[in-house]
Amino acid sequence: MTAAVRAVRRHVLTGYAVLALAYLFLPIGVVVAFSFNNPKGRFNFTWQGFTFKNWTNPFGYPGVSSALKVSIEIALASSFFATVLGTLAALALVRYRFRGSGATNLLIFVPMTTPEVVMGASLLTLFVNWRVPQGFGTILIAHILFNISYVVVTVRARLVGFDRHLEEAAMDLGANEWVTFLKVTLPLIMPGILAAGLLAFALSIDDFVITYFNAGATITFPLFVWGAARVATPPQINVIGTAIFLVATAGMLANIVFQNVRARRAAAVGV
Amino acid sequence: MRPSNTFGGPAGEEVSDTAGVGHQERVRTLIHRRKGAIPYLLLTPGMAWLLVFFVVPMWYLAKMSLSQGLFPLFSFGWAWGNFRDAITAYQTQFIRSGEYAAVATAAALLVSYPLAYWIAFRGGRWKNLFLLLVIAPFFVTYLIRTLAWETILSDNGVVVHVLQHIGILGPNDRLLATSAAVIAGITYNFLPFMVLPLYVSLEQIDQRLIEAAEDLYASRAQAFARVTLPLSLPGVFAGVLLTFIPAAGDFINAQLLGTPRQYMIGNVIQSEFLSVRDYPTAAALSFVLMAAILVLVLVFARILGTERLTVAA
Amino acid sequence: MTETFTRAELLRRAGAGGALLTVPGLLAACGGSSTKASTTSAGSTQALPKTITFSNWPLYIDVNQKTQSHPSLVAFEKHYGVHVKYLEDINDNDSFFGKIEGPLSQGQSIGRDLIVLTDSSGLPGRMIELGWLEKLDKSAIPNIKNLQPTLRHPGWDPNRDYSLPWQSGMTGIGYDPKLTGGPVTSLHQLLTDPKLKGKVTLLTEMGDSIGIAMLENGDDPAHVTDATFKKALDMLQKAVNSGQVRQFTGNDYAPLLAKGDIYACLAWSGDMVQLQADHPGLKWVLPDKGGMIWTDNMLIPKGGNAYAASVLMNWYYRPEIAAEVEDYVNYICPVVGADKVLEKSDPAVAKNPLIFPTKQMLANAHEFDVKAVNNPKYKKQFQALIGG
Repeated sequence: MTAAVRAVRRHVLTGYAVLALAYLFLPIGVVVAFSFNNPKGRFNFTWQGFTFKNWTNPFGYPGVSSALKVSIEIALASSFFATVLGTLAALALVRYRFRGSGATNLLIFVPMTTPEVVMGASLLTLFVNWRVPQGFGTILIAHILFNISYVVVTVRARLVGFDRHLEEAAMDLGANEWVTFLKVTLPLIMPGILAAGLLAFALSIDDFVITYFNAGATITFPLFVWGAARVATPPQINVIGTAIFLVATAGMLANIVFQNVRARRAAAVGV
Repeated sequence: MRPSNTFGGPAGEEVSDTAGVGHQERVRTLIHRRKGAIPYLLLTPGMAWLLVFFVVPMWYLAKMSLSQGLFPLFSFGWAWGNFRDAITAYQTQFIRSGEYAAVATAAALLVSYPLAYWIAFRGGRWKNLFLLLVIAPFFVTYLIRTLAWETILSDNGVVVHVLQHIGILGPNDRLLATSAAVIAGITYNFLPFMVLPLYVSLEQIDQRLIEAAEDLYASRAQAFARVTLPLSLPGVFAGVLLTFIPAAGDFINAQLLGTPRQYMIGNVIQSEFLSVRDYPTAAALSFVLMAAILVLVLVFARILGTERLTVAA
Repeated sequence: MTETFTRAELLRRAGAGGALLTVPGLLAACGGSSTKASTTSAGSTQALPKTITFSNWPLYIDVNQKTQSHPSLVAFEKHYGVHVKYLEDINDNDSFFGKIEGPLSQGQSIGRDLIVLTDSSGLPGRMIELGWLEKLDKSAIPNIKNLQPTLRHPGWDPNRDYSLPWQSGMTGIGYDPKLTGGPVTSLHQLLTDPKLKGKVTLLTEMGDSIGIAMLENGDDPAHVTDATFKKALDMLQKAVNSGQVRQFTGNDYAPLLAKGDIYACLAWSGDMVQLQADHPGLKWVLPDKGGMIWTDNMLIPKGGNAYAASVLMNWYYRPEIAAEVEDYVNYICPVVGADKVLEKSDPAVAKNPLIFPTKQMLANAHEFDVKAVNNPKYKKQFQALIGG
């Protein structure tokens, strides 16, 4: 095989990857572009001219800001609780052998195979039967529920590749189990936990179906968009969509940079 | 599954200061302990949550699927006929869901494998950045994204004109409101579920194995077919499963990008719950769908082994 | 199966593009003079609760973008000294009903005094049958006299004992004359004109598509029979089979029409007002043989405070308040006299026949038989047509 053929092959693959990424970003480009649209009516369907005014007044529609606030609160709270519960479960599953681990695996796996409609409707049945008033609390319960499984599998993937000798070394040096956990285990699996938290946040802030069944009178941002879409598609929705995208991306980027810096510092120390 | 170790840096490269004055007594035993209450203590909060808010509702749903009567009064009565009726009435939508999900999964694999391969082997220190790029579009609310697709696939849009020009579409053909649009939408929306497990399995492959194969005079193609591909199969299986399952239960793509002619079983369940309000039928349909999916999972489990399956996932 | 969740349902609310012209002087004016009149004419000594909870569709009431408030509600709160908890949590008739039916069927309150649902969904009629609605306290609604005469006696609530319209809308034909090359004025033309082949959409709402087909056949959509239903269904089926009809839609015909993907379609009047803001060339007409009219109705769910809800209804039946809502929402105003108010402040809206239809138009707009909507047999046949 000649070098030329190799070079072509290399570029073919790179070209393909670039095209695939472009495909992923194509609709996002449209969303961003239309956040600068200037329609006179309430529909944002066709290009009517460029303006910054949507960006200077993103909350022009009452209800948008409170819906967004609810979404962010739910996403933060549900990703926090799901991450705690899921991480504990992942530790148990990877670190211990115990009776019932098969059933536990199944219990974690099945919710991921359950269609959202089914999960949403069955939760609604539960809340009605137990006479739990629907609202913020029931949305939170539902979001924690569907996030737990994803957190478990994400953190577990990190734990499986974990070098146990590091913990042993710590203990040999006199650390007790709790200190070892805090000073060795936790920092090492932290990237996995953060990734799980981010994933849970993303799943939560975008969820529509399960939320719809269990929202009561509470409105989240996706519910607002859905409801408004029948009446109007204000460009402000694109502005907020773009903003969530930018903030989340920045958050993940910061995580990557942070990990890279830590890795480099560790490498410099020579560990 | 999903982004497993994606965002993080390489594993296990750092040890923070090994300080801490310890008491030797209880050391060691803990990590390797095989019995005891600790795993249960760790599991209880999360599993209790799943039991109360997943298993118990499923129990209510199971009872409903065997009930009869008309809205709003249903009574339990071992009405197994609900299942028979549900399957016969909505065969078309069941089959369509399977077909759409299968085609979309295949398309997602085709798009994702080279991309995941490229990130894993060519990404260098930017691997995590590229992975981030794969996930980032999905922070834009689903509905806004789908509205954007409507704009892109418009009859008077560039995409349709190009396809008409090169003869893939006839002059009067369109993309919106066709099966193609629905499948394209599903493919797009579940792409990260394919890319991430593929990436995880590809990234774990020891490059030296490939080099060794080439040293032994395997061509690049042979090295790929004999080494890389087999080693990445767990990722392929996990990706296929994680794309196919939500795709088969999806309804939003069919609703927004298709017409009632493209409706899938998810649309039927939705409608039976919310519009027709025939809860027993809706519940029966839900269980048929879940059973179909579980059978699929078990088939995969036989191929992969449960442990690997759930871990890969 | 059906239209369930999406826009497919009743997504036909609209409003004027962000620009909102409140009627500042008016409010001040009415706050003074008509105040006493209404309290006395209400003739009730009941006390209002501290809070009234009102669930409505998003963007379906007047808005002041600067203060992010609803001026007509603020004025009500000030006038009566009560707080109105205004929720925009109704996205879809069926899904909303799905959410409230659990508690209502168990005799629990849903925590709302007032909700808004569409008559053509069949749900308001159904809720009356199920005994899930409180009667209006008509002694507290003297302004009911301002209700459009044509809307006073719907089949499902003949005396308006349980409901009052919030807004209404008409279903007709929307088209782009540049693409059709001329006016499209009948369903017959929509279904047979070869120039329109494959560029036509109909609606997934049974009442709209079947109703207009019945009118085309000279049948009465308010009293559906097996024979007239079948005749209408067959006519539509033929057009679907010939490839004339591209698809059945909810309000997702709107972007298609705006982008020129379709030439003509069955369309809702309120959507057209919005589309015309950016695409002034688009036209909307009631078909020659008649179109459909539907209403979104204020209802008091069981457990709600009927008196308080009635007082709030009465407020919105003041012409000057109705005018203020209408100036933003731009659907069809059910309150007589609101156009007179708007003639001074916003003549463009007052003169728009899609917002204040002429008597002739109203006479040509028909209601659909709510019993037929709830008939499972018809439902199934219609689903087979649109999804077959």
